[in-house]
Amino acid sequence: MYIPKASKFDPDSNGHFGKFGGRYVPETLMPVLLELDEYYKTIRFDEDFWSEVDTYLKDYVGRPSALYYAKNISDELGAKIYFKREDLNHTGAHKVNNTIVQGLIAKKMGKKRVIAETGAGQHGVATATIAALLGLECEVFMGEKDVERQELNVFRMKLLGAKVHSVKSGSRTLKDAMNEAIRYWVTNARDTFYIIGTVAGPHPYPMMVRDFQAIIGYEAKAQILAKENRLPDYVIACIGGGSNAIGAFSHFLEDEGVTCIGIEAGGLGVETDKHGASLEKGSPGVLHGQMSYLLQDDDGQILEAHSISAGLDYPGIGPEHAYLKELKEAQYENITDQEALDAFVWLSQTEGLIPAFESAHAVAYLKKIPKEKIKNSLIIVNLSGRGDKDMIQAKDLLSFD
Amino acid sequence: MKKLVAYITAGFPNNSFTIDLALALKESGVDSLELGIPFSDPVADGPIIEEANLIALKNGFKIEQLFEISSQIATQIDTLWMGYFNPFYHKGMDLFTDYAKEYGVSGFIIPDLPHEEAKVYTDLMNKKDLSLISFVAPTDSEQRIKQVVENSKKFIYLVAYAGITGSGASEDLSQTITNIRAVTSTPVYVGFGVDEKTAKEKAVGVDGVIVGSAFVKILLDNSLSNNEKIKKISNLAKVIKDTINS
Repeated sequence: MYIPKASKFDPDSNGHFGKFGGRYVPETLMPVLLELDEYYKTIRFDEDFWSEVDTYLKDYVGRPSALYYAKNISDELGAKIYFKREDLNHTGAHKVNNTIVQGLIAKKMGKKRVIAETGAGQHGVATATIAALLGLECEVFMGEKDVERQELNVFRMKLLGAKVHSVKSGSRTLKDAMNEAIRYWVTNARDTFYIIGTVAGPHPYPMMVRDFQAIIGYEAKAQILAKENRLPDYVIACIGGGSNAIGAFSHFLEDEGVTCIGIEAGGLGVETDKHGASLEKGSPGVLHGQMSYLLQDDDGQILEAHSISAGLDYPGIGPEHAYLKELKEAQYENITDQEALDAFVWLSQTEGLIPAFESAHAVAYLKKIPKEKIKNSLIIVNLSGRGDKDMIQAKDLLSFD
Repeated sequence: MKKLVAYITAGFPNNSFTIDLALALKESGVDSLELGIPFSDPVADGPIIEEANLIALKNGFKIEQLFEISSQIATQIDTLWMGYFNPFYHKGMDLFTDYAKEYGVSGFIIPDLPHEEAKVYTDLMNKKDLSLISFVAPTDSEQRIKQVVENSKKFIYLVAYAGITGSGASEDLSQTITNIRAVTSTPVYVGFGVDEKTAKEKAVGVDGVIVGSAFVKILLDNSLSNNEKIKKISNLAKVIKDTINS
């Protein structure tokens, strides 16, 4: 049974990962966050709680997710490539690992309503799903631009009984959806639980969400040892806010010889101003309740991000990634829209796996690893989600005879 | 006499307008000015102040303008800088406190910097004799209020309801006010949702009110000329000041 473990990268009591993290929120929310922090301490290592979670993860989500040896791609690259199949989870991505636990916490804390922000719609769908399951009201905030490019997920959320707010301010993407969710949360602080979808936001969210997603790495480690009898050389995952990546990395970070690589959205190229590479091109700052790397101008105004993938279209990043980057405990790279799209087709036609646009960034990086390094290496790529949600957008971008 | 603090968005629509408005507000009985620094993601603000922020940025607002405006007004009307933490952090609290000192700005109001994160700046603020305004919210417990107001200076910003600026919400604050009074003698000003209609009720039991959205709504009214805006905002300030003291 999975139970989170304390990590040497845990934040301090006020949620600081080094200088990153913390709680930068209006005072109205502070008592709510402190209450959640206290509550989480009581269940973080509690066997009864995690045994309840375990039942849902096994029978409802379908865990453990498979670790699949991708023979065709392995042969092509001269390496051993495994995919951690988070795309097989109920609702189609890793997001549900987190929402199921936060939903249970909301319920146990006596909250009636859950809210969520969503980019690609995967977190919104995963939240709407567990709200239906647990009998909670659900409202989801989504940028107008994402509502357009992810209309299938909008419909799914509505079908599941959630109310979807289309956010029209700013860049009309994930950043603005999160602003609006925070405004709603401040207004309804007493009876509403905010299910944050990634390892970002004010403490204790980055640590909680990491604990909930770390089941990915926990399983993958046991699976790779069973299949290969050794640890991987590389663990690769895409990064928007960074939850699937931190989930995949966390059980490998303290292992010598394993290199964890996070892939940011390179958009039209990090040399342009159209990308989502906050670690590569940003600088430390405060947004959405936390200090981390941000895309910002010389006055500290937040810049709009760009990515083909709505889930990576965010100008910030979880604070633990900022910390790992500064400590050089993980490596961070980026992949352009075009490279991700090429990998989307490549994986579909080589392995019969259609990845989400987000996950396609991680897949694409396989082709960027220098030949001498990839030769005979053992690699786990976290396939964080499946591409069903991207079909409408892909249809406009690709044509086949 | 109960005090009136007025929030206006700096540089909206330009520096000379903000300067004229600030001086007119002083004449109308405004005691302190909350000079708002436009920010791209103002999460504590409702649609009115958010819109003013976003328009100001779209028109090219730069922090440099805040300093220029302040150099003209801060010696004439008590001025505080109100803004979200990121611009302060990005340009540096050292730089902001230096300029504040130079121009005579008396303090900062930073709604997303709760006291746990503000602590590291206490010495810097004290050294420059500047106030970092403490917020109290109606969700705060007696115990938390004690921690939050312990080192409060100038005034305590009491948030009138759980929510964002400029909404019609209201809450019974009497217990919160009692809890504050029990631990500090720092004056208590209430803000959020204060306009000419609500001012009287909101001012009960406190030492002053903070008005923002009601003024900014006039700033955003395109049917008015700049002179008309200044006149209308000044009149409104006068009405509110009279109301809270009647």
